[in-house]
Amino acid sequence: MSARDDILRTIRARKAPALPRPARYRRVLDDDLAERFATRARAADATVEVLESMADVSGAVAGLLRARNMAACIHLPPGSAVAGLDWGQVRVLQTPPGPEDVAVALAPLGIGETGTLVFPAGEAAPASWHFRPGFEIAVLRVSDIVPDLETALSSLRMQWPHTINLVTGPSRTADIEQTLELGAHGPKALAVLLVRV
Amino acid sequence: MIPDPTAFRQAAHEALDDPRLKVALGRLKTHFVQKRADAFERYGDFAALRDAGATIRDCALSNLDTLLEKFERNVTARGGHVHWARDAGEARQIVLDILRSADAKTVTKGKSMVTEEIGLNGFLEKNGIRPVETDLGEYIIQLRHEPPSHIIAPAFHLNKEDVAQTFRSAHTELPPERALDERSALVAEARVMLRRQFEAADAGITGANFLAAAEGAAVIVTNEGNGDLTRLLPRTHIVVTGLEKIVADMDDVSVLLRLLTRSATGQDITSYVSVVSGPGDAQDGPKNFHVVLLDNGRTALLGGETGEVLRCIRCAACLNHCPIYNSIGGHAYGATYPGPIGAALNPGLLGLAQAHHHPNASTFCGRCAEVCPVKIPLPSIMRYWREKEFEAHMAPKAMVFGLSLWAFAARHPALYRLGARVLARVLRVIGGRKRAIHSLPVLRGWFVARDFPAPQGKTFQEMWRAR
Repeated sequence: MSARDDILRTIRARKAPALPRPARYRRVLDDDLAERFATRARAADATVEVLESMADVSGAVAGLLRARNMAACIHLPPGSAVAGLDWGQVRVLQTPPGPEDVAVALAPLGIGETGTLVFPAGEAAPASWHFRPGFEIAVLRVSDIVPDLETALSSLRMQWPHTINLVTGPSRTADIEQTLELGAHGPKALAVLLVRV
Repeated sequence: MIPDPTAFRQAAHEALDDPRLKVALGRLKTHFVQKRADAFERYGDFAALRDAGATIRDCALSNLDTLLEKFERNVTARGGHVHWARDAGEARQIVLDILRSADAKTVTKGKSMVTEEIGLNGFLEKNGIRPVETDLGEYIIQLRHEPPSHIIAPAFHLNKEDVAQTFRSAHTELPPERALDERSALVAEARVMLRRQFEAADAGITGANFLAAAEGAAVIVTNEGNGDLTRLLPRTHIVVTGLEKIVADMDDVSVLLRLLTRSATGQDITSYVSVVSGPGDAQDGPKNFHVVLLDNGRTALLGGETGEVLRCIRCAACLNHCPIYNSIGGHAYGATYPGPIGAALNPGLLGLAQAHHHPNASTFCGRCAEVCPVKIPLPSIMRYWREKEFEAHMAPKAMVFGLSLWAFAARHPALYRLGARVLARVLRVIGGRKRAIHSLPVLRGWFVARDFPAPQGKTFQEMWRAR
């Protein structure tokens, strides 16, 4: 008998009678979603900046890089949702970012409950780009913030991607003496640009 | 160090005498216990969330067969492969066969207790494949040839000087005069060294925190991002996980995730949660995707007296809150799963002969059951194993003798009354003016760290009769 059949046979012989699906747990958050998103993202060591429109993004990116003494250079995957913006003085590279580089990505969804960015992978939105760079800058429209993970995932159900990355703050570790250090393998810093319209 | 659960008593004694371990264990309270309490306080709805979590797990276990078949169908439909392994040996062989067919020489690994359970690293090395652990804690202990000492903080027993010394002897290509005094320098060095490994690896192996049947998805929870680089950069991604990790769908995962991260590290959510459902696309991600479902004794526990251990989501809150674990750490258990969950699970997975000491490593204070996010009655399960140990005549002879002496007296009330009266008087004399007993010819271990207060006045039965 194959391992598969053997295991399934044991389960059927031993398991309790099938229980019906329990009522779905849901907690309604009635506070301001954008406010909550920003608070929770900051608590997870991300920076959050509110912009009036998408036209302000390239200026804000240039400002973030200047403030960190970094070259005005970002990596955008070919076909990126923010490739069409006027990047002005900021140089745009299409190669995968290295561990000290900067990548910019549009998050199609944000989760208010936890301050989480939702990145469904696609050919113009490679999953690995959220982990390769040293600094990730995420652009999120206020209108794309949903209350919780359940809502975010249900809007992806029609076109389920091979990878969904939920990102909340920069990479971190507490593996040495249980003390928090940022920038373990993924980005050392994460900036969120929250765009009002 | 060869892990050996039968050597638990000796190993626990040695751990108690380790002053460096005591310092590391002292950090559990501030770093895990307090942060967990704060996180649920912030959330404010622990009881309802926990009820939902326990119900979801019970429901999944009662539908285990249909959920696993559904998961398999959905993974296969997306171009992935599902493999079933009855035991550790089958799982190791499946992984080796996949790696051989992918012509893999180097594999990066995300943190996985199941691959510890099946002894995967040693097996791969013997077969000419180099596994590289990429979770910082796992990387450190791999370099030191040690097993993990905690389910989610595998190197918590070490201090930064230990890590610096380990890195100096492992990373010989780096300048020996470099400064490694700060934790940040150690993290930065691991970042550089491991990025090379991610780029060079032929395959990546991760565990899964959850499987969602309806989406055919494995969910990987990390803070470092190492699990994702392990999945996304090599050509082949293999998920090795216990088959009990499955739930109906991502809605169920969403509930359990709220419990897991708060219980484990006191975070509302970890930096990264990745929902992976098959190979990547033309531009990015693995070309091949495999899931290995491990049984290894799990299905045999279904429906039995200890079946509730299968609800476990491996958050390690029971370890952090256990007075025994807080005194001896994880290595003394000599098994993959230490602490209360280990004490409840190991006799079932390893057999009573191997793990019968573990259920005795409890004061039955009940904190483990109080904090368990899926309401596993850990002390009751440990009590069940203690009874089995007694029935199997594995309990220490002195304990069996003492208990049978007591049982005989308890069945003969006159003898019991007389015995209690004599014993109380004798102990009072031994106690002397200080009214404390420092040692006795029996129960010597009890007196190592404390005195026994000498009985005063009459016995309870004498006082009761006098009323």
